[in-house]
Amino acid sequence: MTPFRRFRRTAAALVGGGALVALPAFGATAQDPDPLSRLDANSRFAIELIIDSANTAGLPTRPLMSKVLEGFSHKADGRRITAVVRTEFGYLKTAHATLGGVSEEELAAAAAVLEAGAKPSQLAAFRVRQKGRSDLEAFTDWADLLTRGVPRDDASSAITKLWQDGADDATFHNLWRSVQTDILQGLNPGTALQNRVRETPGGPATRKVTPPEGQQENQSSR
Amino acid sequence: MIDSEEHPYVEWIAREARRPVPTDAEARARVMAAIRTEPRLRVHRSRWAALVRPRTLTLSPVGGALLAAGLVGIGVMGGLYTHNRDVRAPAGQSKTVAVNPQLPVSDTVVKFVFAAPRTTRVSLVGDFNDWDTNRTPLRYDREVGLWTVTLPLSAGRHLYAFVVDGSWIPDPHAPQAPDDGFGHANSVKIVRGTAS
Repeated sequence: MTPFRRFRRTAAALVGGGALVALPAFGATAQDPDPLSRLDANSRFAIELIIDSANTAGLPTRPLMSKVLEGFSHKADGRRITAVVRTEFGYLKTAHATLGGVSEEELAAAAAVLEAGAKPSQLAAFRVRQKGRSDLEAFTDWADLLTRGVPRDDASSAITKLWQDGADDATFHNLWRSVQTDILQGLNPGTALQNRVRETPGGPATRKVTPPEGQQENQSSR
Repeated sequence: MIDSEEHPYVEWIAREARRPVPTDAEARARVMAAIRTEPRLRVHRSRWAALVRPRTLTLSPVGGALLAAGLVGIGVMGGLYTHNRDVRAPAGQSKTVAVNPQLPVSDTVVKFVFAAPRTTRVSLVGDFNDWDTNRTPLRYDREVGLWTVTLPLSAGRHLYAFVVDGSWIPDPHAPQAPDDGFGHANSVKIVRGTAS
């Protein structure tokens, strides 16, 4: 065999061998556990900047990453996911500035309240709280009422009043359930809230819905 | 270009060179006997000299390919490791956010129920399963006509939705979160810690 032929054959073998190793390596990249690796370069860069900003500001990054994963599940493109993450970051930032140091869960719930249409000034009433008291249920029901069309000021004043009167989670939950039932039956959302608030005691609710110990149940129907 | 091995003149030279030379058997025996009587040469070489002495390595094409593949693989893996390390931990901060350190360790078992007897497939998506539509399917109970799934959830606030035959549907019996930005509404489940 001539030296030229030998060189050609060796070069082909080297290229082929390199390709054999490189392809699985790139395959491994596709299965990278880092979810951001599924984004295009620009979107990934933008979201990494947002997450860095959240870290710097002391904001939770879990809700932001959850939005990314939710976007993947909806098969949304990178620009859309970036826009949603940026919006969520804005609400988290505003909620943090309004409420100060609260838990990650409460901050995410407060961001949802802002996202549903409440003003930061309406959220500010929750800055002062009793030790150990969580506003998770209040924020969740508040955001739901706004989402279902209850006028912003009505919902905000009702929830804030109950909170300041020391209402517990069951009271908020029962109010939400009653208003939701009335709305589903065709009542105007604002009217439904006004009616039910009048019936709601400021203190602990008389009717408590407690799930079996160690188990909570969501009953849904279609 | 002329291939030297195929050139007639070169082939003639090679043929002549390969032709055995006739020798006298006794002469060959005398030469070999003289060689055997000579003292054996003892070559003293240091180990260092043995190490630095140039050698010619021969590799088959397959061996060369495997060697090259290994080198490329090491390079690619090293590059990937360096890249991921640089991307994930800028300024000494970890970007691993899959685990929420603020949540209590204890889990609460939550049963999700969906009544949709005419559907063929119902699954649960949420922030607890990375919004994976295949990870948490609901099982249909024919006796009661309900789709159910039970799973442990960490205490806190969870967003979720049912995926019914491919359509995202919020739980009608749970508080709703605002539009998720992707055109769908999710439900909210607040899980209280078993200790609280």
